[in-house]
Parts: sequence; structure tokens; C-alpha cells
Amino acid sequence: MVTPRRPPRRTTVAAPERLELLQDGTPVPPVRGGRAADLDATRVRAWWLGFSEQVRHRSEELTELDRLAGDGDFGHNLRAAVRGADARLDRTRPGDVAGVFDAVTLAFLDTGGTSGPLLGMWFREFSRHGGQTLSTEGLADAARAGLDTVQRLGGAQLGDKTMVDAMAPAADALRDAATASVPVVAALGAAYRAAADGARGTEGLRARRGRASYVGDVARGVVDPGALAIAWFFERGTVV
Amino acid sequence: MSATTGRPDVQLRATTGRRQFLNDRDDFVAEALEGFALAHPQLVSLHRDPDFVRRAPAGRRPGKVALVSGGGSGHEPLHTGFVGVGMLDAAVPGRVFTSPTALQVAAATRAVNTGAGVLHVVKNYTGDVLNFRIAAELATDDGVAVDQVLVEDDLATDPAVTGLDDGPGRRGTAAVVVVEKVCGAAAEEGAGLADLVALGRRTAQRSRTLSIALTAPTHPGERLPSFDLPEDEVEFGVGIHGERGVGRRAFSTAADLAEQLVTPVADAIEVQRGDAVLALVNGLGSTHPLELSVVFREVVRVLEARGVRVVRSLVGSPVTALDMAGVSVTLVPADDEVVRLWDAPARTAALTW
Repeated sequence: MVTPRRPPRRTTVAAPERLELLQDGTPVPPVRGGRAADLDATRVRAWWLGFSEQVRHRSEELTELDRLAGDGDFGHNLRAAVRGADARLDRTRPGDVAGVFDAVTLAFLDTGGTSGPLLGMWFREFSRHGGQTLSTEGLADAARAGLDTVQRLGGAQLGDKTMVDAMAPAADALRDAATASVPVVAALGAAYRAAADGARGTEGLRARRGRASYVGDVARGVVDPGALAIAWFFERGTVV
Repeated sequence: MSATTGRPDVQLRATTGRRQFLNDRDDFVAEALEGFALAHPQLVSLHRDPDFVRRAPAGRRPGKVALVSGGGSGHEPLHTGFVGVGMLDAAVPGRVFTSPTALQVAAATRAVNTGAGVLHVVKNYTGDVLNFRIAAELATDDGVAVDQVLVEDDLATDPAVTGLDDGPGRRGTAAVVVVEKVCGAAAEEGAGLADLVALGRRTAQRSRTLSIALTAPTHPGERLPSFDLPEDEVEFGVGIHGERGVGRRAFSTAADLAEQLVTPVADAIEVQRGDAVLALVNGLGSTHPLELSVVFREVVRVLEARGVRVVRSLVGSPVTALDMAGVSVTLVPADDEVVRLWDAPARTAALTW
């Protein structure tokens, strides 16, 4: 009598591809083509919703940083913008990457002030460079174009203690990843590490642009909340 | 109820701060826009979500370059009060003292474009400048020709005065009315976008304004003004957002205070003996017309003493800072072109001749 052989049971607890990402209360189905594949609309939406949840839960941290160095409205404004984006995504249910980032863009351009619209123009480049799917190459192009747009419109240079201090190193990291043909999720990991380093580096800087510039040296020792939000954004892309 | 007096608290508070006519502070601007549109159905129509005020159909002109302006609310009648024939095609209001969003401005820009292009008239504030620039890029991507005139007339924030070379520069204040009037008239005559940009920039760059506040404004739903001012002092060099000025000076007679405004402005625009100017005496929200007339009389006196003629004027409260008590003086060199365009017909809620 021959006992049929079964494949050995896998004992891994939580391989990254088995992480359950809730989307509308249901687990996201396994990624077709594996996590090395380019990002499709479903995964970009999951990436966005992960970031949105992070902002909703931790906007107080951003507000506190901004209270110390700016006028204290950044966390509130960002929260309002991601809420708007979530609502637009619910309403429009975009079927491609460009559509997901377009909904995000419009929500941010619908907020007043300066950081919201600047982020909107940054996300707009992700919409422009993302078609049906988003590759490492597309991400690198989007991050570079987004950085250029934010610098052109906002006038901030590297080291001015703004969101640019996270956007610029992330764009460099994505360019390196594209050159080395790194899969997209790994590339987002590299972007996250670069953005997080950049955000941490703003702690020692004196603000020269944005609201924090009005308080001068008082802002030293405080991480720029805009730069931190950019690091959060890339971080949530590493788990889709 | 108050424990000590037994009277409702609201009556007690009412004696210690400003009272306002409002229902809900969150709906304040939206309700005011609705009321404004109801009051002027023959002049304007209100577009909701995104919010902007545009000319009523009867005032629209096919083939004309359209003028769009906007900014935070709280400066009324600016800008909604200047929508109509001879001035703006649309005005885009933000929340109180907050720039409109880029999507609002882009929607208004697309709506009023006749194909001849759209001129944005923007007061120099970081949020306004950014959101109008973004809106211009969005509209340009949709095939609309858009260009901008930046109004930056506030002498108190001139880098030459403040020493801040890399700051945001002079704020945009009351001279925006003059730019909207002359560019609006030229657009009505059929001027092209490039000509309007040149005219607007020439006018804006030659205009200067200086302001004094006697009291700070009180925000909608607030009880206390945004800063305190002692009885014997005035806030010198204020803007139009209830912020502190560049310094405090002694409260004095109208003649003395007016001279402190006119002389630096006249020096800054370099008017010579025999030159002609357009003078705007602007109340900042709660200064009575009688006071404004007294100030204007002093403005003319000071200028006449310098041999400068006031050939056109506007005395009123077109550009306010909520209910701030105070006055601004704007001078614009008045060449034949400016005078002709200033005199051209206008039919708007706040300015008609």
C-alpha cells in the first residue's frame, strides 16, 4: 500500500507576499505574477490606502512637529487631503495606475494652503508616468519629474528643511534601482530608506522655505513633517 | 447661565467682545456668497463645488480675453464685487484669509475662457501665487492660454524697507482694484492677452500702498480682535489679513497720520512736480465714509504741496480686512492711458459708472 505523498507543509508565518492587506474589508488576492511584477491598479490602491491609514492614525505626530516649527496645520491638512483622495477613489474606482494617482492628485489640488497643492503636483507626475501598470523605470521618472515640479513651483532647494529633503534622495534611489533593474517593491524599499534618511536629516536644518522659515532657529531639532510624510508614503509601498 | 449673575452667559460675553451676524462659522463664507449672488442676479451667477462667482450671461462677451482674480475671503467687496462688465469675468474666493484651491481657480479659468485666453490678476501672497500658478498649468494643459499679473504694491513689505532680500516681497493690497479696472476696460475694448499682461504689469509695478490700523479685525465666530492696540498708538504698515504691522506709532490727527502714509508712497513712485496721480483712499473695513473723506482731503493737501495733481480718485472701502478700522493710501501715476481706461464704463456690484 502506497501512501500518497503530500508536499511538505510550509511553516513560514508571514512571508511578505502572504501579508493580508484589507481592502474594503476583504483580503487582497495574491499578487498575479508575484511581488516582483510591476504594480497594477489594485496594488497601487492598496499602497495608497496603507499610506492613508497611516496618516489618519498618526496625523497628530505631524501636527505636533508642525506646531513646533510651523503653524501647526500640516497634519490636519494632510488628513483632510487623504480623506478626500479615499472618497474620490471610492467614487471613481479607477482601473489603472494613472487613474488612482489622478484621484489622489485632484484631492490634494482641492486643498488650500501650500503643502497640499505642492504634494498634488508631485502625485500628478505619478499619474502621468503610470499607465496601466507602474514599473521601477516609471517610478524613477515620476519621482524625478515630481521633484522638479515641486522645486519649480515651491522654490525649495535641498537642505531648506522641506518635503524636498525626502523627495530628492528618494528620486535618486529610484533612479539607481531602475539602472540596476531592481523589481519595483525592492525599489520602493530603497526609496523609503533614502527618504527616511533625508527626513531624519532635516532635524538639524534651519528652515529657509515654507512656514517654518518664519521661526528661524526655533525649528532646529525638529523633523520636517512634510519630509516625514514622504518617507511614510514610500514605506507603505514596500508591503503591497 | 452664569453662577454669579443668573443671566445667560451669551449676554455677558456680548458686552466684552464683537458681535457678528452669522449662523455657523463653517458656513459663513458659503452663505455670504449665496446672499451676494441673490442680491445681484443681473450681474453675477454663483457656481458651486468648486465655488466661484462669474458674470451673469448678459455680461459675457464672446472672443474677449477673460479676467479672473481671487484670494481669501474677508476682503469684500474684493473680488466678487468687481465681477461684471468692464472688470472681472470671474472671482474665486477661498476661506477667510486663505487662498482658493488650485482646482477652484482652474475650474473658473476654464469656465470663462472664450478662446482668447485668460488673465489671472493675483495679489502677492505665497498661497495665492502658488495656487494660481498651478491652476494656470492645469488650464494650459487643457489648451487654455493663461498669463498672470502679480500685484505687489505694499510699501511696508518692500525688501528695500524690510531688508529681507529672499523673502516673499511686497504684499499685494488695494492696488489690485486699479489693475482690475484698467485691464478689465482694455479687455472690453478687445486688447489681446499679451497687451493686457504688459498693461497690468506696468500698472501694478508703478503702484504703491501704505496702511494704518486703528483696531485689529475680529474673525468670524471669534470674540476678540487678532491683536490689541493701546489707545494712544496706531499699527503702521499693516496688510489686509489682520496681522501686525511693521511698527507702532503715536495716534495723532488725520492730517498727521495721512501725511505719514502719503509722503513715503509719493517718494516710492517718484512723482515729480507737475505729475498726475490716481489716488485710492481705502477703508479697511469699519472706518466710516466721513473719516475716509477727511483722510482724502489731507491726501490731496499733501500732494498739492508737492505740486502733484490728483486727477482721479476712489474713496471708499473696496479692499477690506474683515472689520479692521484703518485706512490705506494707494497712488498710481496717471498717464493718459490709465485715465482713459479708469474712466471707461464698469458695471459691477461694487463699482459702476
